[in-house]
Amino acid sequence: MIGNGWKEALEGLPYILQGTWVTLAVVFGALALGLVLGLVLAVGHVYGKPAVRRGIGLYVWFFRGIPLLVLLFLFYFGILGALKLELSPFVVAIIVLGLISSAYQSQIIRGAIKSLPEGQMKAARAIGMSDRQAIVFTILPQALRLAIPGWSNEYTVILKDSAVTYALGVAELMTRAHHVAARTYQHFWLYILVGIIFMVLTFCGTRAMAMIEKKVAIKGYSR
Amino acid sequence: MDEFLFLRQEVAPALMSGLWMSIRLILPSAVCGLALGVLVGVLRIYGNHFLKALVGTYVLFFRGFPLLVQLYLWYFGLPHVGIYLSPYMAAVIGFSLCSAAYHSEYVRGAILSIKKGQMMAAKSLGFSHTGAIFYIILPQAIRRALPGSGNELIYLIKYSSLAYMVTCIELTGEGKILASAYFKYMEIFMIVGAIYLLMVSLATWGLNRLEDFVAVPGFERIHD
Amino acid sequence: MTADEPILVVQDLRKRFAEKEILRGISLQLHRGDIKVLIGPSGAGKSTLLHCINLLLPADDGRILLHGRDVTGFRKRRVYEYRQKVGMIFQDFNLFDHLTALRNVMIGLVRVKKIPKNEARRRALRELERVGLAEHADQYPAELSGGQKQRVSIARALAMEPEVMLLDEPTSSLDPELTGEVLTVIQDLAAAGMTMMMATHQFDFAESLANEIIFMEDGAIVEKGTPQKMLYAAENLRTREFCARIHGYWENPER
Repeated sequence: MIGNGWKEALEGLPYILQGTWVTLAVVFGALALGLVLGLVLAVGHVYGKPAVRRGIGLYVWFFRGIPLLVLLFLFYFGILGALKLELSPFVVAIIVLGLISSAYQSQIIRGAIKSLPEGQMKAARAIGMSDRQAIVFTILPQALRLAIPGWSNEYTVILKDSAVTYALGVAELMTRAHHVAARTYQHFWLYILVGIIFMVLTFCGTRAMAMIEKKVAIKGYSR
Repeated sequence: MDEFLFLRQEVAPALMSGLWMSIRLILPSAVCGLALGVLVGVLRIYGNHFLKALVGTYVLFFRGFPLLVQLYLWYFGLPHVGIYLSPYMAAVIGFSLCSAAYHSEYVRGAILSIKKGQMMAAKSLGFSHTGAIFYIILPQAIRRALPGSGNELIYLIKYSSLAYMVTCIELTGEGKILASAYFKYMEIFMIVGAIYLLMVSLATWGLNRLEDFVAVPGFERIHD
Repeated sequence: MTADEPILVVQDLRKRFAEKEILRGISLQLHRGDIKVLIGPSGAGKSTLLHCINLLLPADDGRILLHGRDVTGFRKRRVYEYRQKVGMIFQDFNLFDHLTALRNVMIGLVRVKKIPKNEARRRALRELERVGLAEHADQYPAELSGGQKQRVSIARALAMEPEVMLLDEPTSSLDPELTGEVLTVIQDLAAAGMTMMMATHQFDFAESLANEIIFMEDGAIVEKGTPQKMLYAAENLRTREFCARIHGYWENPER
C-alpha cells in the first residue's frame, strides 16, 4: 500500500532531479528554435507574397494539427531512417518540439505585429527606411514585447510536452521517474513527485517571464 | 505492387480499428471534460469559499501536471491504493479530468467578462441565483468561451495519441505496432499523421460553423 | 388595508461599504400612485438606496416593509417573489444581450412566473407595444439605440406586473436627443397610476411629474417636499445651493 512508500520515492529524488537539466535543455532548445523560425515565418506571413503566405499557412496547419507523439515517431524512426542520419533522441526531441513551437510562435508574433497601428510602418518608410529596416527597427521591437505573455504560455506548454519525449527515451524528468518506479514500484508517489517538480519549474518560468516583461516594458506604452 | 496491396489489406484494417478506438476515447472525454469544465468554471466564480478553494486546487494541479504524468498516475499509480483501471478507463478519466481543468479556465474568464448588470437585472426580475446563472449568465458565457474551449477540444484530439503510453491501443498505437512489424515507419506514420490532420481539420471546421451558428448580432466582445 | 396605508415603507435604513457609511438612516414612505424623485450630488447614496429597497444590496440596519410586511429578513424564495413586485430600471439598461427584445421581455414570464410560452409571448408583445417598440421585437440589444434599449427594459419590468417601480437614473446614459422617448414612456406610466421612485438629474421632468422631491446628500435626506417648494422655496440652504448650482433654479441662494 502507499503507506510509507513516499520515503522510498524520495530516495530516488536526486537521480530524478538530474533530469531537470535535460528537461530544461530540451525546453529552451525548442523555444529558441521555435523563436528563430517563428520570427522568420511570422514576418513572411505578414509581409510576404501570397504564395509565400499560403506556404507558411500550410506549414502552420501541419505542425499544429499533427500530434507530438506521432511527429516524434515519424522523425526518429521514419525520417532519420530515410535520410540515413543518426541523431540522438535528445536532438530529435529539440528539433520536433522546436518545429511545432515555431508554428505556434509564428502566430503569436504575427498577431502582435498585426495589432500594431498601420502608421508605424508608414512612418518608418517616410523617413527613408527600407522595408527590411522598418521591420527590424520599428515593428519587431514592439511586437516582441507584446508577444511575451504568449511566450509565457508557450513555455508552459513545451515544458509539459517535454514529458512526452520519454517515448523516445530522452533522459529527462519523466523517463527518470519511470526508471525509479520500475525499480522501487512506488509509481504513485514518484509520479506525484515528478508532477510537482514540473509545477515548480512552471512557476519559476512564468515568474521569470513576468520579470522580463517588466524590465523591457516601455513606460506609458499601452495597447 | 503486390506487396503494397497486401500491406493495404493489413494496414487499413489495423488503422481503422485504431481510429475507432481513438474516436471512442475522444468523444466521451470531450463531452465529460466540457461538462465538468463548465461546472468547475461556475463553481470557481459562484461557489462558497470552501468550494472555491477545492476546485481551485483541482485546477492548479490538473493544469500543472503534464498530461502524461496524470495518465501514468491513473494507470500505474492507482493500483497502489487498490484501484485497477483498464487502459481505456484510465485514458478517458485522465483526458476528461485534465481537459475539464482547461475548459474551466475559459469558462471562468468568459463569466468574468460578462457585465455585472446582467446578474442584477436578472435578480431584479425575481430570478433565483441559480436560475440567473443558468438562464442568463451561462448562455452568454458559453458563447464567449467557445473559441478557447474549441481549441481545447482540438488539443484533445491530438493528445488522445498518448493513450498508447498506457497501453490503450488507438490509432498511434496501431501505427507503431504495424510500423515495427514491417519496418515501414515513414509510410505508416505519414498515413497516421494524415488521419489526425483530417480529424483536426474537420473539428476546426465544425467548431467554426458552431460559432457562427450560435452567434448573436453584435454580441458584445469585451476584451479589455 | 385602506387606501391610505403606504405600499412601501423604508425605516431608518443604513448601509456601509468598508469604512464609509453610504446610507445614514433613511426613512420614507410610498403610497399608491406616488411619484417620488430623488435628487442629489453623485455619491449621495440614491442608487444604493434603490438597490437596497429591492434587496439587491443587503442593508446593514433598518427595515423595509411592503404592505406592512417586513421583507428585510427574507431569504431565497420570498426574496424572489418580493422582487417581482418591485420592478427596477437601471441606468445601463442591462438588457440580456443574447436575447431579442421580445425574449428579453418574455424570459421573466416564462422562467420566473412559469407562464406557458404562448401566453408569455402575447403579454410580452403587449408590453412592447405599450412602449412603442412592437416592430423591434425580433432585434437584439446591439441593434437598438440607447433609448430603445431603455424602453425595452421598462417593458421587461412591467411584464412582471410590479406594484412599485424603482428607476435608477433612467436617462443618464442616453444621448440628449434620446431621453425624450424614454421620459414619454415614464410619463405614460405615471398617468396610468404606477407608483414610482426615481433618481434623476432631469429637473424639468421631475418638476412636472413628481408629487414629492427628496434631496439626498452624503447618505442622508436633507429635505423633502413638493416640487414647488423644493425648487423655488426650499428651506435648507444646501438644497437651494444644489438646485442653483446645477440647474439654474434660484438666482441668489443666499437670499
